[in-house]
Amino acid sequence: MTDAALARGPVVERRRGEGWTAAALITPASIFVAFCLLAPIAILFRFSLNEFVPSKKLMVEALTVANYVKFFTDPYYTTILATTVRIAVLVTAVCLVLGFPLAYVVARTQSRFKHLLIISIVLPLFVGNAVRAAGWMTVFGNKGFFNATLMGLGVIDQPLEIMFTEKAVVIGIIAVNLPFMVLSLQSVIEGIDRSVEEAAFSLGAPPATMFRRVLWPLALPGVLAGTILTFVLAMNAYATPFLLGGPLFKMMAPLVYNQFTQQSNWPFGGAIAFILMTVTLGLTLMANVIIQRRAAR
Amino acid sequence: MSKRFMLSRRALLGSGAALAASAMSAPAVLRAQDNKRIVVGTWGGDYSRLLAKNIETPLLAPKGWDVVKDEANAPPRRAKMLAEKTLRRGTSDVQGLSANDMFEANEQGVAEQIDYGKLENAKNLIPAMKYPYGIGHIYSGKVVLFNPKMMAAPQGFADTLDPKHGNKLGIIDIQYQYTMLAAALASGGTMSDFEAGKDRLLACKKAGARVYPSNEAFAQALKTEEIACGIMWKARAVQWQNAGINVETVAPQEGVPMYVSGFVMPRNAPNKAGAYAYLDAMMAPSAQEGFAVDMGYNPTVTNAKVPPDVQKRIGFTEEEQKRLRDLDYGYMAKNDTAFQEWWNKSFKG
Repeated sequence: MTDAALARGPVVERRRGEGWTAAALITPASIFVAFCLLAPIAILFRFSLNEFVPSKKLMVEALTVANYVKFFTDPYYTTILATTVRIAVLVTAVCLVLGFPLAYVVARTQSRFKHLLIISIVLPLFVGNAVRAAGWMTVFGNKGFFNATLMGLGVIDQPLEIMFTEKAVVIGIIAVNLPFMVLSLQSVIEGIDRSVEEAAFSLGAPPATMFRRVLWPLALPGVLAGTILTFVLAMNAYATPFLLGGPLFKMMAPLVYNQFTQQSNWPFGGAIAFILMTVTLGLTLMANVIIQRRAAR
Repeated sequence: MSKRFMLSRRALLGSGAALAASAMSAPAVLRAQDNKRIVVGTWGGDYSRLLAKNIETPLLAPKGWDVVKDEANAPPRRAKMLAEKTLRRGTSDVQGLSANDMFEANEQGVAEQIDYGKLENAKNLIPAMKYPYGIGHIYSGKVVLFNPKMMAAPQGFADTLDPKHGNKLGIIDIQYQYTMLAAALASGGTMSDFEAGKDRLLACKKAGARVYPSNEAFAQALKTEEIACGIMWKARAVQWQNAGINVETVAPQEGVPMYVSGFVMPRNAPNKAGAYAYLDAMMAPSAQEGFAVDMGYNPTVTNAKVPPDVQKRIGFTEEEQKRLRDLDYGYMAKNDTAFQEWWNKSFKG
C-alpha cells in the first residue's frame, strides 16, 4: 500500500469510529457536569442578584448586589461566617494532629491485620452523617450515655451541657472528617521510603528532627490533600451542626437551607451560598499557595 | 498527541441528539401510567402512616387509585412547589400544609382554587375549614403542657411563658409563630399584633428557657424531665400521653389559637381528578374518625362519630370552645419574614 492510500480510506474510517467512541465516553460526564453543576450554579448566581418581597415571600427579577451588601453589613451573618471558618479551621487542625500518628502507624505497620485496621478507619463512612449525628444525640443528651456514666460513677452531680452546643458540633464533625484525613495521609506516608527515615536516624537526628526535616516535608502532599478535604467538608457541614448544634448554634450551610426553605428567600439564600462557596475556595487556594511555597523553600 | 480520542463535531451532535430524543420520549410513557396515580406531599412519620391507614388503603385503593408519597417537612415541600411554579406540569397532586402555609401558597399563586361541587363529602365540612384554596383536614388548639410531678397547673400562657420557670421552660424553634402569638396574648397583644410578647420571650430566654429544634426534641425533654412546661398542640400532648410521657394540658385562659392542618392542590397538579378523589376521601367520616382516634386531632366534618372517651381527651369543652381563636393568616403571612428575623437574631441570637 502506498503512502497516499494510507492517507485516505482506512485512516479516515478508523478516525470516524474513534470519534464516536470518544463521544460516547465523554458525553455523559460532560452533560452531567454542565446540567447538574454548572447550570444550577449559574442560575443560583442569577437568583442572588434578584430582589425579595418579604410580605409576599416572592422573588422579583432585578439586578442588584443588595443581598451581598446585606450579608456583609449585618453582624449577625458575618458572625455566622466567622463561626463557620473558626470551626472548620479548628476541626481541620484537630484532625491533622489526631490523624497523622494514626496514619503513620497504619502506613508503617507490618501486621497481617493491616487491612482490618484500614477497614476500621473507613467503617464510620459506611454510616450517613445524619444517622451518625442521631447516634451522638443519644450520647450527648442530659440523660445520655456520657452524662449517665459520669453521674453513675459520681464524677459529676449535674449533667454537663454538651448537646446543642458548639462542643457537640466540633466533636461530631471531627468524627465525620477524621477518616478522610487519615486515608489521605496514610496513602502518601506509605509511599515514603522507610530508609530515608533510617538515614536521618543514622546521622544522629532525634525523632522530632527527623519528623520536622524528613517526614513532614515528604508527607506534605498528603497533608495538603487531607487538610483541603477536611476543611471543605467542615465549611459545608450541614447535618451535624443542624442536629447537634440545635437552634441556637449557627453555621453557613444550615443558614442557606433556612433561607431557601423556611423563609423562601431564594435571592438571599443564593447570595449566602455563593459567599460560602467563594470563601471556601479562596481559603483553600490560599492555604495551598502558602504550603506549596513553604515546601519549595 | 494521539488521535485516538479525537471527537468530531458530527459525533458530538449525534450523541447529544440521541440523548435528547430519549429524554423527550420518557414523559409520554410516564403520562400514560399517571391517570390512576396520585402523588401526595405530606409530612413523614405518623401523619403519612395514618393517611395510608385511614384514607388510601380503605378508600382509594379499592377504586384502583395508586397513591405515591412525597414525604418531607412543609418548608422543603413548599419550596419545591414554588420551584415548579413555572412548569406546566408539577410533580405532586395534593400537598399537606398548615392553614398558615396554605394561605401563603395561595398568596404565592401556587394553589388551585377548589371546586367544592366536585367533592361529595364537602357538604359536611365545618364552614371554617372550607378555604377557597384548600381544605382543613384536622384541627387542634395550642395549649399549655406541664408535668404535674414538677409543678402546679398553670392557668394560661402568661403563667407558662414566665421567667420564673428558668431552664424548666421549653420552647420549640419551629413553633416560632405560635410562640410569639402566645407570648403576645399573655402580654396584652392580639391575634393581629405580636409586638407585646417580645419582651416576655426575651426575659424567658434570659432566665434560661431551653430552645429545642423540633417537636420531638421537646417531647424527649419532657420525658427526661429536663423541662417542666411549654406550649404545644393538644393533639400532640395526647400522643405523648399515649407514649407514657407524664404531661397534662390546660386550655389557656387568654384564648386557644387553632392549628388547622389541611391539603391544597398545586395549580399545575398533573392529575387533578386524582387530587379531587383524594380530597373527597379525606373528608369521609371513617377517615376523620380514624385520625381522631389514632392522632388526637379533631375532625373537620360534622358527620364523624368520635367515641366519647376520645372526644373528652382530644376535644375542647363548650367553655373552652368559646376561647378557640382562628389565626389572622394575612397578618402572619405579611410579617413572617420579620418574625423570623426577630426570632433568629434577637431571640435566639
